[in-house]
Amino acid sequence: MKELVEYIVKALVDKPDQISVKETAGESITILEIRTAPEDAGKVIGREGRIANSIRAITKAAAAKQNRKVTVEILTDDEGPGKQSA
Amino acid sequence: MKKIRMKGKTVDEAVAAALQVLGGEKDKAKVTVISEGKPAMLGVLGGADAEVEVALSEGLAEDARKVLQEILDKMVFMAMVEGSLEGDRVELKIKGEDMGRIIGKEGATLRCLEIIVGSILGRQYGERVRVGIDADGYKDKRNQAFERLAKEAAKEVAETKQEKVLPPMNAADRRIIHLSLQDDAGVTTYSKGEGRDRRLVIAPK
Repeated sequence: MKELVEYIVKALVDKPDQISVKETAGESITILEIRTAPEDAGKVIGREGRIANSIRAITKAAAAKQNRKVTVEILTDDEGPGKQSA
Repeated sequence: MKKIRMKGKTVDEAVAAALQVLGGEKDKAKVTVISEGKPAMLGVLGGADAEVEVALSEGLAEDARKVLQEILDKMVFMAMVEGSLEGDRVELKIKGEDMGRIIGKEGATLRCLEIIVGSILGRQYGERVRVGIDADGYKDKRNQAFERLAKEAAKEVAETKQEKVLPPMNAADRRIIHLSLQDDAGVTTYSKGEGRDRRLVIAPK
């Protein structure tokens, strides 16, 4: 699942080297956290969230085949708790 | 896209070497500089190689086919993709197992794949690319059903001379109906409403 999300996201952004995908697998649910460079976040989210929702649906379809559930979250660096004072 | 990463003493040298490996010309290639490199002091000390990534188009249909095939492989779905160019639109057809999952509820997963593959290609080519994806003839069958519905509704409108407003539909479905009625002698079509509530109207001529 991680490879799938990584491939799609890296192909969408200007700075693929700054993409990281963290996979946390529970008993039946997998959580995928995508981190992008701040200026790339919009490319992964898309207008009205179309791209993000499409990534979620595709990942869900892949997970369903393995009887798993998956959630995909997109985090941007400037949303980090330490950097909000700027 | 055929892609390769290459190092060289300078960016130009690295690009030239990459193009030699890929067998293409510079004006058709997309070059991403990964590292500018720097010359060595006194010719020996502390220099760093330049590194570039060079991508060469293999034609829109083939580039799109490869992107979708890669996604399906990473989904661990047993499926094969064929690609063709119809006008300025890329049409991709999927065959194999797992078709129900690839299509999704009322074709929802197919539409998501269209959005993602279209966005990736759009980025690679620097312009909007229209991508249509079908699996196991699903969209063909669905489109035929829409065409039948359109023809029946058009007949009714032509007879009663009363406008008929169809239920909300997405752009692709409305397009099918517009196209199938564009040469109809008795009716014209237009859309009204915004966003998810946009509906197609069949009106008497």
